Amino acid sequence: MGLREYIIRRSIYMVLLIIAVVCFNFFLFRLPTFLFGANPISLMISDELRRNLTQDLLEQMYANFGLVPDPDIFDWIYMFWRYIVSMFTGNFGVSFLTQRPVITAIVERLPNTLLLMGSSSMVAILLGIWTGVKVAADPGSKKDVGAVTVALFIYALPVFWFGMMLLLAFGFMLPAWTESVWGVRIGFPQYGTISYDVWEIARTSPYGALMVAGDVLHHLFLPMITLGIGGYGGYFLYMRNNLIDVMTEDYILTARAKGLDENQVLYKHGLKNAMLPMVTIIAMTFGFLINGATLTETVFSWRGLGRFIFSSLLLMDFPVIQAIFMIIAITAVLANFVADLLYGVLDPRIKYG
Amino acid sequence: MSKSQAGWRDSNWYVGFSRFWHEYRKHRLGILGIGILGLFVGMAIFAPFIATEDPTPTTTIAPKFLAPIWLSVFDQSGVVTDDYLPDLYLENAPIIGTNGTSDEFSGIHVPTSDLSNQSYVNLTWSHTAGTPLDFRDHHTELQSEDPLPDYNDWVYFETNFTWPFNSNPNAVNMSISYSTTLSGDFAPGGFPNNNLMFRLYVWIIDPSGNWMQVFEDRESTYSELTREIPISMTYQKLSSIFGGMIEVNGTQEDPTDLVRVRVGLAPTFRFESYGGDIPWANYTGGVTFTVTKLKLFASGDYFGLMGTTNQGADAFAQLIYGSRISLIIGVLATGIATFVGVVVGLVAGYFGGKTDEVLMRIVDFLLVIPGLPLMMVLAVFLGASTENIIIVIAILGWTGTSRLIRSQVLAEKNKAYVESARAIGASDTYIMFKHILPNVTPILFANITLGVVGAILSEAGLSFLGLTDPEEPSWGRMLADASGGGAFIRGAWWVVLFPGLMITLLSLSFTFVGHTLDQVLNPRLRER
Repeated sequence: MGLREYIIRRSIYMVLLIIAVVCFNFFLFRLPTFLFGANPISLMISDELRRNLTQDLLEQMYANFGLVPDPDIFDWIYMFWRYIVSMFTGNFGVSFLTQRPVITAIVERLPNTLLLMGSSSMVAILLGIWTGVKVAADPGSKKDVGAVTVALFIYALPVFWFGMMLLLAFGFMLPAWTESVWGVRIGFPQYGTISYDVWEIARTSPYGALMVAGDVLHHLFLPMITLGIGGYGGYFLYMRNNLIDVMTEDYILTARAKGLDENQVLYKHGLKNAMLPMVTIIAMTFGFLINGATLTETVFSWRGLGRFIFSSLLLMDFPVIQAIFMIIAITAVLANFVADLLYGVLDPRIKYG
Repeated sequence: MSKSQAGWRDSNWYVGFSRFWHEYRKHRLGILGIGILGLFVGMAIFAPFIATEDPTPTTTIAPKFLAPIWLSVFDQSGVVTDDYLPDLYLENAPIIGTNGTSDEFSGIHVPTSDLSNQSYVNLTWSHTAGTPLDFRDHHTELQSEDPLPDYNDWVYFETNFTWPFNSNPNAVNMSISYSTTLSGDFAPGGFPNNNLMFRLYVWIIDPSGNWMQVFEDRESTYSELTREIPISMTYQKLSSIFGGMIEVNGTQEDPTDLVRVRVGLAPTFRFESYGGDIPWANYTGGVTFTVTKLKLFASGDYFGLMGTTNQGADAFAQLIYGSRISLIIGVLATGIATFVGVVVGLVAGYFGGKTDEVLMRIVDFLLVIPGLPLMMVLAVFLGASTENIIIVIAILGWTGTSRLIRSQVLAEKNKAYVESARAIGASDTYIMFKHILPNVTPILFANITLGVVGAILSEAGLSFLGLTDPEEPSWGRMLADASGGGAFIRGAWWVVLFPGLMITLLSLSFTFVGHTLDQVLNPRLRER
């Protein structure tokens, strides 16, 4: 079986997986209705409002959200059909709460999430590869044991708590301290993605774009460090173990026997081979980027998708979570696919079959 | 074990525990991990003995965000919030005495015994008509100034406490619980207003001997039911009681730091003459005050070993009890997940073909669903109880295990021992669980311990988001309370630092053990 056939097979499988996710989504978010008979519309409007609404208006409301009052089995089939059709035509519906199209709300928050997750992943990956290589050259040394211990510590660390500590130290205590010493508050912002006053000034200033960028970076720093450190341990351990594995291979021995110096062996022969599985991991990471980080975003009040999922969930705004779930799952499936192909392209030893 | 006795089992070197231990203990991290884990297990088991306060996050016992007491080392005027009368339920005999020469007064302390499940102090006055008492008649001029009762004859009990601080308490929450038994002419139905003839008093006597009357019971509230009566303390009262003990330039006004609290029963001036009657000459009867509890709770800026939370609950108790929920959820969720994962992995790997295909597609499916969001959704839908959280975490936890087991089974199932087992007619189930499973177990141990880490962190995250039982003390919830309750603004770093540190230490101990197990048991790593 060649590459072409493999791609076709994987594509079909991918489509099936997406269909499965779409169906699963439908049932997951109607679970409260199945379990307790809770009706999203009744959650949305009060009894008083319901009494005052005309029957036409009420039915209109149900229809707006693709719902049927008191559904029987045929209504469920009808609703499922409508759901499938709208999902595949890219119509994610309107939010129960704000009555705005869900996709607008998601697109508003997407850049924030991508910025936070992208930058922190870069920090984690670069730091992980760099220290991983440094340490793997001499496994079992003091440096190695120390670095592994640190990595294990990070693995066990609740990342959101680490963020809370950073926020407490640099967002609250440091400004209070500088204020008492020098009379000015120097530190990092306590919440949010951008300060309102900066935004107001920037609107009229010729250097507005720079000011906004600076302020966003200022807000970005602590959550980025938090997630960067939180992700670092995994990349480091993966890189280190891979490279140590590779360094026991015969071709490394050959390279050494040829008389290459150790640095060349490590970087030219070792690292290149050890990077292969790393590449798939990185590809997967980028697939899960839009997942956001609910906990860290909540700690820093970062206006991203992760926190949006959580806040919508608390408000029972199902169309929003349903759409985010869809998008995340589809991206993950695509990223898996790309990672698989990438591996094959980079490593010619891989045979598809 | 000697070579001659070694059977086929012993050729699996990990079966021998002592050999395993011999290998394991070479790893310092592993030993450290087991040590920390042991501490946490001990903490979970003996929680009621370590932490005496109520661990429920919603019980208020002190003002919110008080600092841990060990921080008061840096604070010269820091006051520790606590119950200052150590014998809250009067279990030990206090000083009981009578004032004056009358023999109508008596007091007795009754400790907890087989007959009564409560200890108490009885103050009794039984009067016989016509017996004169030592009336002071100070009432007209000095009514509000004089703290002493209207008669010189009375009965009291006294306890005391030391006030080691150089500062007044912010507030004092004092209360007394008592019931009243009346008899004779004092009993209801006797003379009109016959219960106005006596009072229960509480005095606080500062080290210089100045008396302060803090409580005088109001008439017509006598009841045989025990009631807890709060005693209010004004700022002026507090400063006149505690102010003398503040050290200025190394000296303080009061000679010592010993404060006495005296509870007394005395007749009032009405007993001399009331409504044209002369009660002392005509009344015969008795009154007994049964005091069951005397509380003096002074609040300052410090409380307990770990301070208080945003709801004013004891943080130390929650930290200790939090280990229970973390361990229970971590171990049970991982247990369920591992069981499911092992069964799925064995079945998929052993039978292969269509079964394998279907099971592995389910695993793929679960891997693309976003993990934490799905847990949140399920936790909200199923409701916030510990069992549901365990289920929610287990639902997503088994996929990795099943993949791992499956790959191991694929390598094992074509080996000769499986074939020979099949040749002698062993059933599939028997081969899977008795032959293949023991051979893939070692690699599972590290997986299990690392799974526990994931479960503990998931629980912490879910409870941080407030999706777990709000009555259950948990570290994640402590963090949520801290950040939601304004700990950052108040600079209350101790309610942020310690819960997270507990989570980290517990999951770190599992990580260390898991890492070491991996080093010891994973053949791929061992060969190096």
